[in-house]
Amino acid sequence: MGKSRKTVQIVILIAVLIIGGYAIGSTLFAADDKGPLKEGSKPPEFELVDIEGNTQQLSDYEGKAVVVNFWGTFCPPCVKEMPEFERQYAKWKDQGLVILAINLSEDTLTVNNFVRRFDLNYPILRDVNRQTERNYGLKSYPTTFFIKPDGSIMEIKVGGMTEVEIDERIERLLQL
Amino acid sequence: MLVVENTKCECGHQNSVGTVLCESCGKPLENNELSDLPLEMRYDGVARRSQKSNPNLIDKIWNFFSSVKIAIYLIVFTFLTAMLGTIYPQENTFVNNFDPSVYYEETYGLPGKLYYLFGLSHTYETWWFIGLLVMIGTSLVICSLDRVLPLYRALSKQQIRKHLQFIHRQKTVYKHTIDGDAEQWTEKFGAQLKRKGYRIHREGSALLAEKNRFSRWGPYINHIGLILFLLAILARSIPDWQMDSYITIPDGDTVQIADTNYFVKNEKFTVEYYKDEELPAKLKGTARAKLFETKAVLYECVSSCNDQTQKPVLKEVKRHNIIVNEPLKYKGLKLYQFDFDTTPRLNAVHPILVNKETGEKYGPFDLPMKDSALHHKLGPYTLDLYANYMEFAIGDNGEPTTLSRDPVAPAFIFTVKGPGLDPKGEPYMYFPMQKDKVKFSQDAINHGIADKIEIRVDGMENVDFSEASTYLNVRMDKALPYVWIGAVFSMIGLLMGSYWQHRRIWLRIDDGQLSLGAHTNKNWYGMRSEVAGALQKIGITVDPKLLDNGGNNA
Repeated sequence: MGKSRKTVQIVILIAVLIIGGYAIGSTLFAADDKGPLKEGSKPPEFELVDIEGNTQQLSDYEGKAVVVNFWGTFCPPCVKEMPEFERQYAKWKDQGLVILAINLSEDTLTVNNFVRRFDLNYPILRDVNRQTERNYGLKSYPTTFFIKPDGSIMEIKVGGMTEVEIDERIERLLQL
Repeated sequence: MLVVENTKCECGHQNSVGTVLCESCGKPLENNELSDLPLEMRYDGVARRSQKSNPNLIDKIWNFFSSVKIAIYLIVFTFLTAMLGTIYPQENTFVNNFDPSVYYEETYGLPGKLYYLFGLSHTYETWWFIGLLVMIGTSLVICSLDRVLPLYRALSKQQIRKHLQFIHRQKTVYKHTIDGDAEQWTEKFGAQLKRKGYRIHREGSALLAEKNRFSRWGPYINHIGLILFLLAILARSIPDWQMDSYITIPDGDTVQIADTNYFVKNEKFTVEYYKDEELPAKLKGTARAKLFETKAVLYECVSSCNDQTQKPVLKEVKRHNIIVNEPLKYKGLKLYQFDFDTTPRLNAVHPILVNKETGEKYGPFDLPMKDSALHHKLGPYTLDLYANYMEFAIGDNGEPTTLSRDPVAPAFIFTVKGPGLDPKGEPYMYFPMQKDKVKFSQDAINHGIADKIEIRVDGMENVDFSEASTYLNVRMDKALPYVWIGAVFSMIGLLMGSYWQHRRIWLRIDDGQLSLGAHTNKNWYGMRSEVAGALQKIGITVDPKLLDNGGNNA
């Protein structure tokens, strides 16, 4: 009887360890996932179609410095930034910089007209029904996420930037 | 292993460490033989399980959780910390983009800032609160197990002839001298007790009568219920077990419920207000809602669900008119009416093209505000959509632009080819809304071509708009049925333990001297009157109060 009692004790304590460990562990991990994105947190994954019709995922660019910019034709500072990003892209793309410009769920003609007008060469992704922007907790436009090669956020810039500001941040990002 | 303490009773039974009353004859084992105070009858005097004289680490952990004192501390501590969570609203009571790091400090100042920093803004999801719940759960399991098994053993092999000390030190005691045959008397008395629902075990002139033993299992069944309840609550952290989100759906739209395979269509949202004559005097003239209703259809995606390049294939699974407190329910998913917005939204128009010189009409053609076809053929005319704007405006640089992405003031620029027009095509600007047509003077912008053709909508039946948007609260709680099962078990246990009492009567007759002792786990008043009642039936009248042998709660 002493032996079976010992087994019961161990089984119960192990069950407590597993269930309790899972419950406590999940609260610790949830703390990281929940709440608005901030520096150091991991940006949510997305899978969107670019204007050429190819599907692109954020995880396709793991290990690279990525700039994710949310923009719309209805937002003048976004419009001003787009050609600046184009110049920055030309300057840094050989060093592995990736720019993903996510359009804020506008219609095809609007996006195509805009891209043609500015002759943009970096991937322009199309959000659908504002899903991605909601996942990223966007409050105003433009918002730009600078993502380090290790997949965590270096900086979140809300609002427009001058070209010098963009350049300085990209340089810092590429050094990481 | 050496048993240091001598736990052998004079009747020859070997008891385990911690035993208060001999498991066999009931003789008190502690060195207070001179005392004649009522006995401690808890758990029938048996030792708690797993009490050892030289515990190792596992035994020590086990004994920690096996202590009721620790359990009470844990429960009190959990109550106190749970109170902290009620000082300010918790984070999960806020909807939409909400930044707790700013909110608490802005709203409540320094206390708010500290509240957030200590993690009290999500008290019930902190690791230490969940940790306390886990410890309470562990304590429940171990405390119960350590007590119910020895108790079960003790109650299932009770000796009938108990030690005299055991009988005389019960809280209800009766002594009397019997004339005549002892066994006969015992049998007669037993028959009386049987009529009161007792189970009789007789051994010569000794008797044990017992009823409602099952009520002793009530607390343990209650504990099983509580453990189930706790496990169900902890299970909420399993992915997909719990969801609480909000969706906005304009009339006629179909929207995916984030992180699920479900899509919801709002076929029509209706809000109805009380008429003035239906309202009491002091509410007249105010808008009081009578009904909010969303005609909703729930779809499940069957293929190409996550493929952005293709439209998902949907299958209707449920149709329901959602009103307040009557959610759409499907496989644990619940959609509640939450809010609404009655700002109308233009979805599409079906305009015609008129040749102003001949009066000939072509069309109508379908022109949705978003993602319209780029090419339209209308009789001899062709229309190529060149640009569109959701909220048309002239930008600072003098170029047309849009101020938002919602169709507030939509505008379309077509390149039109056809009879009497430039073969290369002429631009034509079209504002579907009359107010914009006037505001931006459509005819002046179009100048020359405005005299030759006109694009216009004939009648309201060619305008397609959403009158309102409905806001639904999406909820899913797979743990809830288990919470209910736990609650039912807990209730059954409570009823068993509260409405029935486990009563036992022991008696023995030694040389014509009757010794009777009785024990119940509660309601001693009832116990005494039951004994007195049975004695009365066989001709011994005794005042129930005189059976009281003292002791607490007697």
